Amino acid sequence: MKRKFENIEVALPFFLFSALVIIPLLLALDRLIYVSGKMPWQVFSSLDEHYLSQDAIGFTFLQALLSTALTLAIGIPIAWQLGRYHWPRIRLMRALLTLPFVTPAIVAAMGFMAILGSDGFDLRGERSTYLVSLLFAHAWFNIALVIRFVDPVISNLDPRMEEQLRLLPAGNSRWGRLRCFWIPLMFPSILCAAVLTFVFSFTSFAMVRWMTPSNATLETVMADVGGAAGIENYQIYSNELVLASSTIQFLVLILALWLLSALQAKRSRTIAEVSESHSRKKGRTGWLVLIPALLFCLSPLMAVIRSSLRVAERGPVISHRWTLEGWQSAISGDYAYISIIDALQNSLGYAILTLVISLPLGWSLSSGIHLLEKRGSYWAKPLDILTMLPLAISGVMLGLGILLGIIRISTVFFTMWWMPAIPHIMLSTPFVVRLLLPAMRRQDPELIENAQVLAMNRWQILTKIRMPLLRGPLIVAGIIAIAMSMGEFGASWILVRTGAWDTLPVLVDQLMTRPGFDPLVKPTAMAAASLLMLTTLILFLVAERFRPDGDGGMF
Amino acid sequence: MLRVEGAGKSFERILFEGLDLNLATGERMSITGPSGCGKTTLLRCIAGLEDLQDGKIYLDDIEVTNIPPEKRGIGLLFQKPVLYHHLDVAGNLRLGKRDADVHSALKEVGLDGFADRRCEKLSGGEAQRVALARALLAEPKILLLDEPFSAVDEELRSRLLNDTIALLGSRGTTAVLVTHNIKEAESFSKNIMTM
Repeated sequence: MKRKFENIEVALPFFLFSALVIIPLLLALDRLIYVSGKMPWQVFSSLDEHYLSQDAIGFTFLQALLSTALTLAIGIPIAWQLGRYHWPRIRLMRALLTLPFVTPAIVAAMGFMAILGSDGFDLRGERSTYLVSLLFAHAWFNIALVIRFVDPVISNLDPRMEEQLRLLPAGNSRWGRLRCFWIPLMFPSILCAAVLTFVFSFTSFAMVRWMTPSNATLETVMADVGGAAGIENYQIYSNELVLASSTIQFLVLILALWLLSALQAKRSRTIAEVSESHSRKKGRTGWLVLIPALLFCLSPLMAVIRSSLRVAERGPVISHRWTLEGWQSAISGDYAYISIIDALQNSLGYAILTLVISLPLGWSLSSGIHLLEKRGSYWAKPLDILTMLPLAISGVMLGLGILLGIIRISTVFFTMWWMPAIPHIMLSTPFVVRLLLPAMRRQDPELIENAQVLAMNRWQILTKIRMPLLRGPLIVAGIIAIAMSMGEFGASWILVRTGAWDTLPVLVDQLMTRPGFDPLVKPTAMAAASLLMLTTLILFLVAERFRPDGDGGMF
Repeated sequence: MLRVEGAGKSFERILFEGLDLNLATGERMSITGPSGCGKTTLLRCIAGLEDLQDGKIYLDDIEVTNIPPEKRGIGLLFQKPVLYHHLDVAGNLRLGKRDADVHSALKEVGLDGFADRRCEKLSGGEAQRVALARALLAEPKILLLDEPFSAVDEELRSRLLNDTIALLGSRGTTAVLVTHNIKEAESFSKNIMTM
């Protein structure tokens, strides 16, 4: 009886999650096949035939591979310094260095635009700088992944592992220790970070849209033509382009996800053997790495705030003056359908809806996987991978899934304000699972067993034992879910069809696409981006206070 | 072979000061004393893993006080065996000697046929014997043993200690054993230092 109840408890959240993630995508696929009259493998060539998508495949792979290489080159030395040496205020430093990852992509894009724009280094006039600036923007966004994966492997390392090697012939040189110990130890974590960086760069939307406007990726192609897809006898090519792009993207991302899952298992085996805390040596020259790294991480954010406070004055030479006019116009909503306060309210509304659903759903999914793992069930691994599926499906793909799979079926859905929250829930739930599941695995099972022999029922064990013990990871997961929802851009950009529902990222994009001859447009957009950034920053810093020590992994 | 002169070390309190120690080539010595008296710290200082605050250490009449551990040619067996789980047993042994005859080395410590085993599958006693075989393969000038068998049961501990003594004796390896068990100290060497 107990087992039957547990099986339902495991199956129900997975059924809900699958319905939420898979059904819209299948419906969207069905609609695209129906409208275009072709199967996915019959439309690959359409990408090369249409001017909008020519070279999109090549550019998508190129920028993702180069971004990954640059991210590792910048991120590994930072992770090494953070993990290996003792630094004052290391928690704050870690928080600041990993902040870019939770910064909304649109804010990051605005930050780099501000640094490279006329009020900064003035490099946007040179097309040749576009790709390099995109690579640095992707590296900026993703170095947090390298830090989150690699730093705990080093910082939680039992120091005797290295000491023992120093006393053996194989480890009596730096190269020997690197070859025999550090590389094998860090390699799975570095590869995990590399795979995820590749995935996020491959599916990057806001940054590509703004940093390299002359080059399309599969993601931007889908976003550009997706609005016209799924309608019978209307712009047939758009259906083919979306079908081809999404199929290629899906196959690449599934492959990456499979690789990530295999690497994660290897990584957890490596970490399990070295999980003792110890006092670390003081770093002497590491500031040469960390100070530039902190400047690199914070400068785009500072640049957004700076640009929100400066207005260009045209004359023989363009000059800038300091003013609050950008903020005033953003608050009054002069340049958009709604003001930044209304957009913030919308974003918070969607975020709270996301939290209310994704946190209990993520908890139930994590509990289910953990229970299956304890039973040694074959199903634990596939279901673990299933929860990561939305990570591999981009925001744009999810948005199109909802648009084509649900809204196109009945226009009634078009007027439902909560529609954009669905992809937010889909995107944030994997983050919740990735934060809660490791915490559940670390929990001592005897604490639960002891509660059972004290005659506590399931509800009492949940509310009085499990939840209080996992309070820290629960708070972090909740805040990260809110932050993810607030920063989500790709799906919202596709689904938010009424100005009154505009979220802050959508508002920033709308403002930046307005003709730039009015000098107040850019500061207004930057003010909206600043508000979004500051909200995320506060959320993230609060989350960091509750993060357990030595917590590594994805986020 | 090993000479320690006027060694001193303190962590919030004095662990040892003015400590002298002399050990000839091929000789064995035991160091005993209550928990927290600085036995392990002394071994770590001799190995070069920690710095002495006072005093000097000589190996073969060459001062090694400020030489890094990897340059001293000293072997150390930790209390808890340190094996590298990304390598199998044979891989761990080859860290001690690249072209090691793994099978003979394992046979010597009574682990014949263990070459391909994963380290995480070994028991505490087996893991420590692999660590001992690896340390001996490296042919250290001196082998330091920091209560290496404290984690196994009494009967096995005594057997492992006897095997280790026989191995060290047959090779003429200079060795220092740290233990708080006076019986172990007595069976390991005639030369016993109490801290």
